[in-house]
Amino acid sequence: MFNLAILKDTVAVHPADFGTPQELAIMTELNKKYANRVLHDVGLCICVFDLTEAGEGKVRYGDGFLWYKVVFRMLVFRPFQTEVLLAKVMSSDHNGVRLSLDFFDDIYVPIHYLPVPNAFDPNERAHFWHASGDAEAKQTELLDTPVTERMWIDKGEIVRVRVEGDEFYDDEPGPVKMAEGVQVVKEVQTRAPFTIFASMAEQGLGPVSWWATAQPEDGEEQDEIMEDG
Amino acid sequence: MARHAQKWRDAPALNSGDEVNKASQSMEARVINPRSALLSNYEVLSLLQELEADHLARTKIAHRIKKEEEAAGTDVSVPIGGGRPSTAVETLENLRTVSFEAIKYLSADHQSTTSQTPEAVTELVKSLESYGFTKAEKLQIVNLAPQEQIELYVIVEELEDRLSQEQMVEVAEHVKKSLAAAPSLSIVAQPSHKPLIVKADENWDATDDVDEEFDDQGEGAGVEGDLDMEED
Repeated sequence: MFNLAILKDTVAVHPADFGTPQELAIMTELNKKYANRVLHDVGLCICVFDLTEAGEGKVRYGDGFLWYKVVFRMLVFRPFQTEVLLAKVMSSDHNGVRLSLDFFDDIYVPIHYLPVPNAFDPNERAHFWHASGDAEAKQTELLDTPVTERMWIDKGEIVRVRVEGDEFYDDEPGPVKMAEGVQVVKEVQTRAPFTIFASMAEQGLGPVSWWATAQPEDGEEQDEIMEDG
Repeated sequence: MARHAQKWRDAPALNSGDEVNKASQSMEARVINPRSALLSNYEVLSLLQELEADHLARTKIAHRIKKEEEAAGTDVSVPIGGGRPSTAVETLENLRTVSFEAIKYLSADHQSTTSQTPEAVTELVKSLESYGFTKAEKLQIVNLAPQEQIELYVIVEELEDRLSQEQMVEVAEHVKKSLAAAPSLSIVAQPSHKPLIVKADENWDATDDVDEEFDDQGEGAGVEGDLDMEED
């Protein structure tokens, strides 16, 4: 899940911080700049791990800051492909399930990565897996199944998923467009800068409670777990 | 005379242009290696908790200095010429948010980190040596602590071909052993692998009175009640 990225940057330390030890001042600046931000093709930055190398602080013309060239290691969240994660179900809709890790919410399980056969019950706002059912069953047939046979992927449940891939988007707003002297506000759909796609379509994946007893067909067990969640 | 003036004007322009060029080159952040090492959840959790404890300690000291100064009527916290008070601890919003949420995730009940210790993790990794797991597989075994066989199936590719039934049981045993070793989580009190931040406290630029204060902050470092203080 987590790894260390080696980055290089130049940071400015404000004169007010000259009293604090250099390393600490530099790390504070780096944390200010990177923490909780997505670095393209690197991942979500958590915090500075350590400084590998820092040059002499230099004063540039124009301000009183000390500028340091630093090579440092950053603690980054970016699970590798095929990695197995534990996550919480955040929401479900017709397109799939969205998962949360508390500090990162852009994990999606698209519908084709859910266990087959599955269906989305709009009344419950949740997907379910019909474990004993026919893999070729149609949505309407699945929605007619008795509720007790369904294995729900409920909101708030802890699920085990496999990372299938991730995507980075860098949507820059672009130049401001003017039409007849008035600024035109373009409707831009905001995409998350870093999205992970995960799968539940495998033995052992999906809600942890399904596999806790290795007897997923046990209806009673299932009910009990759902009450817990 | 005119020529002279022109020369004089030209020279700095050239210089400053140079400077801008240099600056823009050096300012861009560069990624040298996006993935130089993998960290286990446990390592990340202990690192973040250390950071948290350290932040609390520093906030506390700053708070006390401020109080003392107020009591003594010598409020010199705002430096002459304005600027940030020297005693204030900067709160890094983003860092605090992400580390708080990450700690929440990593120390949740469903995570194995709550019952791990550094020794147990090292032991577990050593005991997994002989099964021919890849690095990534070992990392995930540490992170997820699979006690059920089905969990191991998910983590290890083609498990049946690679391990015998007995070996699978053995692996589960090793995992169980590593978890049982830790009665409670006491990461904060453990020696740090990041002396940098700790050193910062030792170098704390302060009077003798404050050194005394520093002595007793160790016990209170993790007290939850202190969380409110950084809001001030």
